[in-house]
Amino acid sequence: MNHDPKSNAPDNTSNAEPAVSMTTLPVWILTVMLVLLFLGAWHFDLKGGWFDSKVYGPYTSLHEVELMQPPSGDMDLFALGMKVYNKPTCVACHQSHGKGTPGQFPPLVGVDWVLEPDPGRLIRIVLGGLQGPMEVQGQQYNNAMVPWKDVLSDLEVAAVLTYIRQEWGNNAPDVTPEQVKAVREKTKDRMQPWTAPELLKISPAD
Amino acid sequence: MKSGAVVFFAAFLALSASWAGFVLAPQIQIGREVQTKSLGSGDLYPLAAPGLAQQGAAVFRSEGCVYCHSQQVGQEGARVEIVLTDAGTNAAAVEALIAKLNLKPANVEAAGPAVKEITEAGGKANIEVFALGPDISRGWGSRRSVAHDYLYDHPVLPGTRRVGPDLANVGLRLPDANWQLLHLYAPASVVAGSTMPAYRYLFETRKIGNAPSPDALNLPEGHAPPPGYEVVPTQNAKALAAYLVSLRAEAPLFEAPVTPPPAAVVSTNAPEATAQ
Repeated sequence: MNHDPKSNAPDNTSNAEPAVSMTTLPVWILTVMLVLLFLGAWHFDLKGGWFDSKVYGPYTSLHEVELMQPPSGDMDLFALGMKVYNKPTCVACHQSHGKGTPGQFPPLVGVDWVLEPDPGRLIRIVLGGLQGPMEVQGQQYNNAMVPWKDVLSDLEVAAVLTYIRQEWGNNAPDVTPEQVKAVREKTKDRMQPWTAPELLKISPAD
Repeated sequence: MKSGAVVFFAAFLALSASWAGFVLAPQIQIGREVQTKSLGSGDLYPLAAPGLAQQGAAVFRSEGCVYCHSQQVGQEGARVEIVLTDAGTNAAAVEALIAKLNLKPANVEAAGPAVKEITEAGGKANIEVFALGPDISRGWGSRRSVAHDYLYDHPVLPGTRRVGPDLANVGLRLPDANWQLLHLYAPASVVAGSTMPAYRYLFETRKIGNAPSPDALNLPEGHAPPPGYEVVPTQNAKALAAYLVSLRAEAPLFEAPVTPPPAAVVSTNAPEATAQ
């Protein structure tokens, strides 16, 4: 700039104090920022899982996680049943070989009570308990089995019955949690243990 | 300063926004996590580590293991599989059915109809969920790490570098505390070509007294001390080995679903492998 050195006029190009001033934001920057904000929010909505503590990548929403839960109803009842049997629950009396304790607790291997195609009576025994005397494979047993309805869930009862019906050479169909649930509902007012004659009066399919 | 108040409030806003994002939001998100039930067995997870392992965590921290070993497994996807467990009496019909079914379901719900059809045809099929990703295929875990895995870790040491392998599940891969002790004393004695430094100062080489110590390491040729001497782990080495053996994050959880491994065979009273 052609500044006259003799002039006293202030030089507003080189020596001036810089000052902050309010200027208008250009519209195009504002637009770009809003578009970026929108895209960011949109991406978060799609992928973020909304800060849910149950959602981790690779899942992007709680619904997706729910859809990937391995089915518990279809899970290996036999394997779970083995765990329940040895918890220890049944194993204490019926033993790990399933042959029971001679003269005290009846066996489970090859016994009609266990192998009946419909497990209605069997479910009742496990849920409500059983009071002797009863005859199993020509042997008399007069002892008591405790009720398990407050201890084992429907799934666990189904699993343990499936286990005893298919272990040690037994070969009877699975017991499903739905069957156990139905019997539990039907017998919820029953407070005493079952007896053998009572059970024989009930249809196994009931 | 002309705009002091504006600068102050702008800085305050910026700092509180980052505090809210880095501290407050995670606290609200996972700050109140408690033990949860694992899928399948319903066992509580996680369980607090045994006392010796807790001491070992402090050794792990002070020795700087975390500079080379991470404790976090990544996952990049999941796969659902329909596993035929029994073809039933009419195997041909089941086989024909399988040929025309969609056996690559995107999720468990989508796999339901196929399993139903197989069941109706007399077969038996299970739906299984597997995690995918490089870490999983390296065998570092069966699923990704989630917040629950670190519930009892103070401080959490997820690590950032992987000079050595990930340790999130090292207790599953190498459950023998004696192996861990050998490896700490002389990594090359059990892993050929290992670049891990030897932690000899966690051990004591001493003259055998009246009888050899039951704790003495059974070292192979080339690493063994001179005759008449034995290498005995210090308390720190035993604690560190117990800690490594305790590291296992395999329980399938709701937030990281995978099919649970088959139920363990009858448990025995035999003690598990522990640090001597």
